[in-house]
Amino acid sequence: MLERANNLNHPQYRWRLVLGVGLLCAVLHAALIRRLDLGEWQPDLFSIAALYFSLYANRQGRYLPCMVLGLVRDFLSLGLLGSYAVLYSLLHKLASKARLRLDPDHFVNATAMAFVGTFLVNFGYHAMLALSGDGIGWSRAAMRCLTMACASAPLAPFVFVVANHGLGRLGVQRLAGGYVNV
Amino acid sequence: MPRNSEKLNLAWFLRHPLVATCILLAMTVLLPYLRVGERVKLWALLPVAWAAGEEAAATNEADLSPDERNLLELRRAREQAASLLDENNALRQALAQRSEQPADVACNFAQAPLPQTVDARVILKGDASSWRHSCVLNRGREHGIKEGMPVTCGRTLIGRTFMVDDRHCIVQLLTDPGFSAGCIIVGQGETPLRVRGVLRGDGSVRPHFPRLELEDVAVGERVEAGMKVLTNDFSGQYPPGLAVGEVREVIPQAGFLQVRIEAYLDLDSLDVVQVLLHDRPTLEQQAMQLLRRKK
Repeated sequence: MLERANNLNHPQYRWRLVLGVGLLCAVLHAALIRRLDLGEWQPDLFSIAALYFSLYANRQGRYLPCMVLGLVRDFLSLGLLGSYAVLYSLLHKLASKARLRLDPDHFVNATAMAFVGTFLVNFGYHAMLALSGDGIGWSRAAMRCLTMACASAPLAPFVFVVANHGLGRLGVQRLAGGYVNV
Repeated sequence: MPRNSEKLNLAWFLRHPLVATCILLAMTVLLPYLRVGERVKLWALLPVAWAAGEEAAATNEADLSPDERNLLELRRAREQAASLLDENNALRQALAQRSEQPADVACNFAQAPLPQTVDARVILKGDASSWRHSCVLNRGREHGIKEGMPVTCGRTLIGRTFMVDDRHCIVQLLTDPGFSAGCIIVGQGETPLRVRGVLRGDGSVRPHFPRLELEDVAVGERVEAGMKVLTNDFSGQYPPGLAVGEVREVIPQAGFLQVRIEAYLDLDSLDVVQVLLHDRPTLEQQAMQLLRRKK
């Protein structure tokens, strides 16, 4: 009985999921999204994935997976190591508080949270660029972040539904409150 | 008074995310100075460089399909063209030295000889960040490449080497926000116009012929659409005469001209590029060059 209870608390597929999702997002960003001539309307898949972990993972599976996802992005990009890791750690703090008031299973809530989350992550990244002297101008950066958030937000509800369904197929347990045991 | 018996270990940090985040922030500030992050990133790309090397070594022409054989021949032709260009540049340089005239004075900007080059293949294009722009080449320190060297495709500026390992290097493309280069706008006509400006990458998201801006162009200059933008030797980081793009639009602002250019960079067509073995001259060397010109 005790062994079964321990198994229930033990996270399932956590690191395999984080690394797999991180590498998949990196490949999609570098090889697919960059090649499509979408202009400024580029979805930020990494931020949506980080938001999913922040909103749906169990209590122990939020902070570190978000940080590792950010580190994966930092490793595979030209920027300073730790930039995205810090931003996704802060995103997890914000999303955890927002989840107490908003139900992420609701379409409008998920879209709104993805919009705000993606905007803040990208604007924060530009702030780091500006601190190192590589900023592109605040108004222009804000416009770019807005368009990226607009392109990402509608994808979030579908990504969340597909991810929940996929994890269900993998046999990952749902915990009380709608969390998944990753 | 009860004493806190909580021990400071990894588990404690995991229970206190804010403290760990602050430490991470501090590391973000320190890592660029220690350059640890760059080394770790280069190690992360080792498997890609190794795989590209293995693929090239294992290619057996007899096993290839006609399409793959054509692709291989095209790649070889490009490498041959690149080495011919290299030889041509070396000969021009020798000719310029023989005539005992400084190259940038005697020759047209676009005909200025280029330094020795190293041909390299692009093994990874793109970047995981939405803001940064980079690609990975299969040549590194063993081939004479150092950090900050210009990377071109023919005479078109692509970017500069940013992190260099023994056998591969990462290139910062000219669309990256951290990239900047002194440029000159060249006008054609009876009275050739040369206007200075600074090209800065803006994280442009267009993969083909991105639109960039040229900063610090003095107001009153007669800059028009269609004029060519080339690198100049003002800072010495890039050799003069590398093609950057073409002026598309000029918007007068208070105190300066906002010049929008269309860069010649086309990320999809990048296959074989050249790294120019060009070292940025020291301040003393630049001063000596200026003195020689005045004489």
